[in-house]
Amino acid sequence: MAAAIRQPGWYRAAIGTVLGAAFGFFLVVGLRLLSGLDAFQTEQTGYPQVIVPLITTPFGFLFGFGAFDYWFRWAAGKPTIPEDHSGHGATRWQDYFTFNTDHKVIGTQYVVTTLFFFLIGGLLALLMRAELAQPGGQIVAANTFNGLFSTHAVVMIFLFIIPIFAGLANYVLPLMIGAPDMAFPRLNALSFWLLPIAGIIFLGSFLAPGGSFDAGWTGYAPLSTGAPLGQSFFNIGVQFAGASSIATALNFLVTIITMRAPGMNLWRMPLLVWANLSTSLLVVGATPFVAGAQFMVFFDRILGMNFFNFLEGGDVISYQHIFWFYSHPAVYIMMLPGFGIISEIISTHARKPVFGYRLMALALIGIVVLSYSVWAHHMFVAGMFSWLRVPIMITTMLIAVPTGIKVFSWLGTLFYGKIHTYSTAMLFSLAFIITFTVGGISGVMTAMIPLDIHVSDTYFIVAHIHFVLFGGSVFTIFAGIYHWFPKMTGRMYDERLGRIHFWGTLVGTWMTFVPMHWIGMDGMPRRVADYATQYGNWNLLISVSAFVLGAVQLIFLYNMIVSWRFGPKAGNNPWRANSIEWQVSSPPPVFNFDEIPRVVGGPYEYGTPGARHAIMGGEGEGAEVPETQPSTVTAPS
Amino acid sequence: MESASIAAHGHVDDHHHGPPEAHQSARIDRTILGILLFILSEVMLFGAFFAAYFFLRVVADPASWPPEGVELPVLIAGINTCILVSSSFTVHYALEAIKHNNHRGLKLGLTTTWLLGATFLFIQINEYIHIGFTPRDGAFGSIFFSLTGLHGAHVFVGLLLLTFANIRAYRGHFGPEQKDHLGVEVPGIYWHFVDIMWIIVFLAVYII
Repeated sequence: MAAAIRQPGWYRAAIGTVLGAAFGFFLVVGLRLLSGLDAFQTEQTGYPQVIVPLITTPFGFLFGFGAFDYWFRWAAGKPTIPEDHSGHGATRWQDYFTFNTDHKVIGTQYVVTTLFFFLIGGLLALLMRAELAQPGGQIVAANTFNGLFSTHAVVMIFLFIIPIFAGLANYVLPLMIGAPDMAFPRLNALSFWLLPIAGIIFLGSFLAPGGSFDAGWTGYAPLSTGAPLGQSFFNIGVQFAGASSIATALNFLVTIITMRAPGMNLWRMPLLVWANLSTSLLVVGATPFVAGAQFMVFFDRILGMNFFNFLEGGDVISYQHIFWFYSHPAVYIMMLPGFGIISEIISTHARKPVFGYRLMALALIGIVVLSYSVWAHHMFVAGMFSWLRVPIMITTMLIAVPTGIKVFSWLGTLFYGKIHTYSTAMLFSLAFIITFTVGGISGVMTAMIPLDIHVSDTYFIVAHIHFVLFGGSVFTIFAGIYHWFPKMTGRMYDERLGRIHFWGTLVGTWMTFVPMHWIGMDGMPRRVADYATQYGNWNLLISVSAFVLGAVQLIFLYNMIVSWRFGPKAGNNPWRANSIEWQVSSPPPVFNFDEIPRVVGGPYEYGTPGARHAIMGGEGEGAEVPETQPSTVTAPS
Repeated sequence: MESASIAAHGHVDDHHHGPPEAHQSARIDRTILGILLFILSEVMLFGAFFAAYFFLRVVADPASWPPEGVELPVLIAGINTCILVSSSFTVHYALEAIKHNNHRGLKLGLTTTWLLGATFLFIQINEYIHIGFTPRDGAFGSIFFSLTGLHGAHVFVGLLLLTFANIRAYRGHFGPEQKDHLGVEVPGIYWHFVDIMWIIVFLAVYII
C-alpha cells in the first residue's frame, strides 16, 4: 500500500486532491483569521474559501497523478529517469486511466471524454427544449434556464468541439506525417488531463450557491461581474480549458514543423495536417485573449478591481472587444480541423485528387489571417465605435471568399469522381457541404449591418450558429469518427446503424434549426425561458425534432461501443486511402513505425496508376518509386 | 559528476526497443521552437491587458491619467528597468560561456542573472507597498497593478526556471553541445522575453 501511494496513480492522486483542497481552504481561512476577519466571506462575488481551493485542488490532483514527476526531478537537478517506454500504448482498459504519454492513447482518451461531455451538453439542450416546448413556464425556473443555456454552450464549445478535434488529430496526425509521437508527449498528456478538470469545474458550478453561471457563454460584463458565485467557476474553468488548448496547439505546431517524414515537404502534407497547422496558429494567437478577458472579470469580482465598472472609470464595451478578439477566431478553431477531415474523406471516397490542393491550403491560411479582423461583427448593436462597423462588415464578407474556395474545391473534387457512399463518413461529408453552406450564407447575411440589427439576439442567430456548429463542425466530427474508427479500434462499425444515425441526424438537424430562422426573423428573442404564444407551434415542432435528434445519437453511441468490442476486423486500409496512417496496421503498432516512412508524392494521387504517397519502412531502403508494381490504392476502373 | 548528467542518460536506452528516431524536418530544435511559440501566446496575453489599458486610457477618456494626486515613482522604476535589462546581458554571457565549455562563466552568469532578477522583484514589491493606491482605486489602479503584476508573475516564473538552471549548472550538468545546454538556452530565451516585455510595460505605464 505504501508503495502504491508513492507511485504516481489514482491513490496518490486522491491524496493530492485532498491535500490540494485542504491547502487552499486553510490558506484562505488562516489568512483571514490572522487579519482579524471572519473565517468565511459569503458575498456572491467573493467566497475566497471556495475559489482558492478550486484553483489548488486540480494542481494537487495533477501532482498526485504524476503529471509533474519528470519535470520536478529535472527542476531539482536529479538525474531524470530515462524513458523505458513501458508506459507506451494501452493493453488493458485501465491503461486509459493513467497519465499515458502515447499519442494514440491520448487521442482515444480525448475522443471518449469529449463524447461524454457531448452527451451532457446534449441533455442540457434537451432540458431547454422541454422548457421551450410551450409558451409559459414548464419545468425549470427562468434563472435555471439561464444557467442551462450558458453551461450548454460552454460544455459544447470548450469540452466537446474544440478538444475532440484535438483528440482526432492527436491520434492520426503523427501517423500522417510519419512521426513516432508528438513533439512533447508529457505536455500532451497534461493537456488532456486539464480537460476533465475544466469539465468538472463547469458542471460543479451547478452546486454553487446561486446556481451555475448564467450570463451566457459570452459572460458579458457587467452582468458577469456582479453575478453569483457560479460565474467565478466559469472564469477559472476557462483558464484550464484554455491552457489545455494552447498546450496542444503548441505541440501540434512543433510536431508538424520539425517531425515530418523525409520527403514530406509542405506541399505534400495532407490537408488535415494543413488544417491543424492553421487551427493551432489561431489557438496560440487568440486563446490568450479569452484568458485575459476572464482574468479581468475575475479580478473585478474577487479583488474588487474596476476594469468594467463605469463609475470608477472602467470601460464596459472593452470586455466585448477583448472577448470577441478570441471568440471570433474561436469559431474557426471549431471549423478548420473539420475542413481538413472533409478534404481527406471526400478525396478518398470520390477516388480523385483534391481539386486545387494548394489553393485549399492557402485558403486555410487566408482564413487564419482574416479571422483576426472580424471580431466586432458581434458588436454591431453594442454601442461600439461607429466608424468600425463598415470595415468589419467588409472583412466579414471577405472571409466568405476563402471559405467559398473550400466549398467549391470539394465540389470540384466530387465532379466526375467515382463517388462511393458505402461509408457513413462520406454521407456525413456530403451532407456537411450542404448544411454548412446554408449556415455560411446566413453568416454572410448577418454580416450586413442592417440585417444584423434586425436579427440581433433573436433565434435567427441561434439558427445560424447551430447550422455552422452542429450542421458544420459536428457533422465533420461524426465523419471523422466514422472514418478513423477502423484505424483506432481495428474493427468496423455497423454501416446499417451508421446510415440510420446519419439520416436521423440530417433530418433532425434541419427540422430543429431551420424553423428557428423564421421565428427569429419574426423577432423571437433568444436566451429567454418564455415567449409570445404566436411562436408556440413552431417551438413545439423544434422541441420534438430536437428530441428525435437527441435520440438518434444513442444509436451512434450503441454502434460505437458495441462495434469497438464485437465489430468485424477492419484490415489495415478499408477505405483504400493513400495517407500514411492507413499503411500501418489497425490499430497501429505501439511505436507507429519500425522505420520512418519516406514520402515520395502527394497524398491524394487517386486514380493515377502506380502513384505512391509514401514508401513504408518494411519495403527496404533502396525501394524505387514502383512504376510497374500495382498500387494498393488505385481505384478499380 | 559527468555520469549523472542528463545527456548521459540519453545513451542508456539505445539498446532498448523504442520508437524510431523522428526525422528532423526543420533546422530549429523542438524545445526552442516550443518556447518561442509559448512566448507568442504570452505576448498575446499581455496584448489582452494592453488592449484593456488602451480602452481605459484612450476610449474611456478620463479627466486625467494618472488620476489627480497620483505620482508614479518613475525614477525607482527606471533604475529597476536598468537592473532587469542588464540581467539580459548576464544570461547571454552565461550561454556564450557554456558554448565555449566555460563552466565558471556559466555559473557566474546564471547566478548574477538570478540575483538581478530577484532584486528587481524585491524593488517591485517595495514599490507596491509604498505606492499609495490599491488595485481597487479606480480603473487606473486596476490596470496598473494588472499589467505590472502580470509582468511580475512572469519574472517570478523566469526566476524559477533560472533556479533550476542554476542547480544544474552547479552540478556540472551542462555542456558545449546545443542539446547539452538547452536547459540554459530555453530559460534564457524566456528571460529575454520578460525583459523586453518589461520595457514595453514600463514605457506604457510610467513614461507615456
